[in-house]
Parts: sequence; C-alpha cells; structure tokens
Amino acid sequence: MKNKIKRHPLIEIIEHWSIALSGIVLLFTGLGCLPLYKRYYITEIPGFGWTADFYNVTMVHYIASIVFVAGVIFHIFYHGLRKDFGLLPKKGDLSQSIKVIGSMIGIGKEPPSDKYLPEQRIAYVGIGLIILILTFTGIIKILKNLQWIVLSPTMESINTLIHTLTGFLFMLAFIVHVGTVLLFKSNWPLLKSMFTGWIEEEYVKHRHSIWYKKIKMH
Amino acid sequence: MKLSRRGFLAFSGTVCGSLILGNDVEAKEGKYAVLIDLTKCDGCKDEPVPRCVKACRDYNKNRFPEPKKPIQPYWPRKTYEDWSDKREKIDTLTPYNWIFVQKANIEGNEINIPRRCMHCDNPPCVRECPFGALTKQAEGNSVISDKLCFGGAKCRDVCPWHIPQRQAGVGIYLQILPKYAGGGVMYKCDLCKDKIKKVEEPACVIACKERLGQQAVFTFGERKSIYELAYKKAKQEGLYIYGDKQNGGTSTLYLSKIPFEKIEKALKEKQERFQMPVNVENKIESKFNPIGKIVLSSGIISMIGAVIGALSSKKTKKEDETDEK
Repeated sequence: MKNKIKRHPLIEIIEHWSIALSGIVLLFTGLGCLPLYKRYYITEIPGFGWTADFYNVTMVHYIASIVFVAGVIFHIFYHGLRKDFGLLPKKGDLSQSIKVIGSMIGIGKEPPSDKYLPEQRIAYVGIGLIILILTFTGIIKILKNLQWIVLSPTMESINTLIHTLTGFLFMLAFIVHVGTVLLFKSNWPLLKSMFTGWIEEEYVKHRHSIWYKKIKMH
Repeated sequence: MKLSRRGFLAFSGTVCGSLILGNDVEAKEGKYAVLIDLTKCDGCKDEPVPRCVKACRDYNKNRFPEPKKPIQPYWPRKTYEDWSDKREKIDTLTPYNWIFVQKANIEGNEINIPRRCMHCDNPPCVRECPFGALTKQAEGNSVISDKLCFGGAKCRDVCPWHIPQRQAGVGIYLQILPKYAGGGVMYKCDLCKDKIKKVEEPACVIACKERLGQQAVFTFGERKSIYELAYKKAKQEGLYIYGDKQNGGTSTLYLSKIPFEKIEKALKEKQERFQMPVNVENKIESKFNPIGKIVLSSGIISMIGAVIGALSSKKTKKEDETDEK
C-alpha cells in the first residue's frame, strides 16, 4: 500500500463542503430571486415548480444561508485564532501562479510548492473576498427585512445591488474553481483529498516538494 | 487577515447590538398616510374622468414611458407587455394610469373604490427587488426608480395586490442584454413623492378636495392622526377599515359601510384584475424573518464554537510542541 499524508483534518473537510453545498443552493436560489426562471421555463421542469413562487425561492435561500453563514464565520474565527495562514498569498505568488497554470496546460515545468499551490492562495483570497461581501450584504438584508435596522433608501439600494452583482462574481468564481479541479487531471488527487483528507506521498513529493521537505524535517 | 478579523468583530458587534436593541431602533412606519372614505366616493359620476385619476395623469404625464419601437419580445417567449397604445385606458392600472376607480355592486349597492398602491409598512416589492430599484421613503411611500428598474416584474408578483405595471421598450435593460434579460420598467403610484417631500398633498387628494370640499374622499396627513381619524370615524359611523392590518399595515386606510369581506367576494366573483383580499399576511415577516433569526443565531453560535475550538486546539498544539522539546 502506498504511503499517504494527511492534507485536511476532518474539520476543514466539513467547512469546505458545508460552504460548497450551501453555496450551490444559494447560487441556484439566488439566480431564482432574479425574475428569470419563469421566463426561461425552468419553473416548468418537473420538480422545479416551486421556483415559480419567489417566496419559496427566497425561503430556501434563507435556509441555505444558515449553513453558509455558520461555515464562513467558523472558518474566519477558527483559522484566524489558530493563525493558520498558509492559504494567504505570499510575495511572488502571481508570477508563480502563471507558471502553475501554464504547466497545467502543458507549458513549462511547475515550480515547487508548499502545502498550497500559489494559484490556490490567490484564488482563496479572491473567492474569500467575494464570500465576505456576500455574507455581509446578505446579513444586512436579513436585518432590514427584520426591520431591526432601517436603512436609508440609497443605502438599501446600494446594499441590494452589491449583493446581486457580487452574486454574479460568485457564480464566475464557482465555475473557475470547479472547472480547474475537474478539467485538469493534475488536480484530481486534490479533489479526492477534499473527501478523504489524505493524499498520496508520491503526489506530495512531486508537486508540493517544499511542504514535503517540511514534513520530513519533523 | 488581521484587518478582516477586526472588521468582522466590529460587524458581529453591530449584529449583537441590533439583536439587543431590537425593534425600537427606529420607527418603521412612514410619516404620512391617506384615508380613503368610500362612503363619500361616487366615482365622479357626472364627469368623464374621475378627478383623482385625471389629476394623477396630469401631474405625472412627463414621467410616462415613451418606448422605442419595435419592441422585442422577452426571448425565448414571444410576448411582451406594451400599454403604449392604450394610454387612454382609465378603468384599470397601467404604466400610464396609476390610480383608477373600481366599481362593484354589493347587494344592490354601487360602490366606487379608488385603487392604487397601498404603500405598505414593510413592502415586499421594496424588500424583494433584486436591483434595489424600489425604495421605501421616510414619508412612507414606496418608489420605483425608472433608472434602475430592469422590468422583471418581480415586484408585481410579490405584491399582494399586484399593483406595479410593466412597460416594455424602456429602461436600463435596453443597454445590457435586451433580448435575454429584463422587460422594461415598472410603474405605479408613488404618492407624488416630490410633492409630499415638500409637505404638499398628493395630486389626487387635492383634486378630490376641489370637487367635494369638506366631504372629500381622500384625507392626507400625519400617519398617526390619519389612523386615529379612521378608527374614530369607524367607531362613530359604524364603518369597516381596510389597510391597517393587511400585509402588516399600510399607509392607506379605506373606510366602508360594507364589510370588506363582501367587497372581496364581489371582486372575486367579477374576476377583477385587482382584488381586495382581507387576509393578507406579510410573507417577509411570516416566512423569512423567523429563518433570518436562525441565520443570525447560527452565525453567533458558530463564532463561539470557533473560538472554543481554536483555543483548545492551540493548547494541544503547544502541549505537543513542549512534548517534542
């Protein structure tokens, strides 16, 4: 049997999938909050009849956000306090990322990486920022619907518009994220490790040589 | 990271603050309200156009849509909503007619009901517009911005009375993806937003007063006094009220000799485009808000869990390190 290295503790796996799965529901219902599904006959697909009523769609959006908000806040506080900053970008990540992406499509050799690839660190900040904005403006929306805060008309408009437009960025980031995992075979072991937590030693040695050295030093 | 953590702490503080302060933070209701006394409305039977309707059309005529033609259908559908050839229509709500006088016959009694936006206290149209095109003003009126409106007509779907009306071929959607998204601009009464900001009465109210003087159907005023007046009159004259409870309360109160249940029934039987349901729950309050509270609590619980989890795992980390040494 091949040697395996622990890449993600259970807690990170739970964080990732709770945010990912609730995020997918939020994306679908978020799009459904735009008046689009009726026009494009989505509401007529068997099993999707409920999307014809905006109150249903928004309710499901709210329910999914229970999990999403919990996941995001947990992530920030847990890793922030533990100082797990390995996913934050370092100097030179931008140029290194270009090399990594280049090697994925067969141009040049991939530079050695630590536990995370440089493009993963940049993508993390990007998607993290999008999620933060969505969570923040979404909570403001909850508060104004509860009428616990009363926003000025302009602020209510701005907050709504930011939430809607950032939602589109989230969709884009989601497509890029899932796309790079599925389309490039070199990333498949990473997908597996997001389920099991374990990754093959050979893979680490080859792709994450800096991390591998650190592990061996201990 | 430090910054975002700090930012998040401040934000959590705000959330907790709102939780503690609760409902008393600011007044939710608007400044003004309108009383519509149906016992006094004869639909201006001796005039070609009811005064309130005429005044509204005159006052707002410069804001009516001028669509570019030909108008594209809402792809992949073959339909689109165009009222521009029916501008003269005054017996229903259209993008060119923001108030109309509805007729109903109840047990031999003819009644006339001026109908327009109710201006809800917690308006679903405002809360649900994905573009922020609808706003609720301090005066209590809800207003559609014709600059921001995409014409998806969601406001009409979520409105218990389906008031806002759509005109295709105008608005911001023409600049973005005219074929695939958006459908025009929505129009409805905004209680003469510019007038009431200047503490002037809405055009319909003035016009009615000009005809009927002290006996006018409409009374515009401070919300509190309008509500008091309505309740007083209802008690003294044995009238029924509509609009104080519907959808969680509105800035429009109707008074009628006939119970509104009967009016509702009559309009339903006639299959009128604009109904007057008596039981209208505010679904933002009944469906969303209980879940909203759970979302906020789950955030706070998760934060506490994260802090405990991080501190205890730090300890074990440190213990491990000292063991190694």
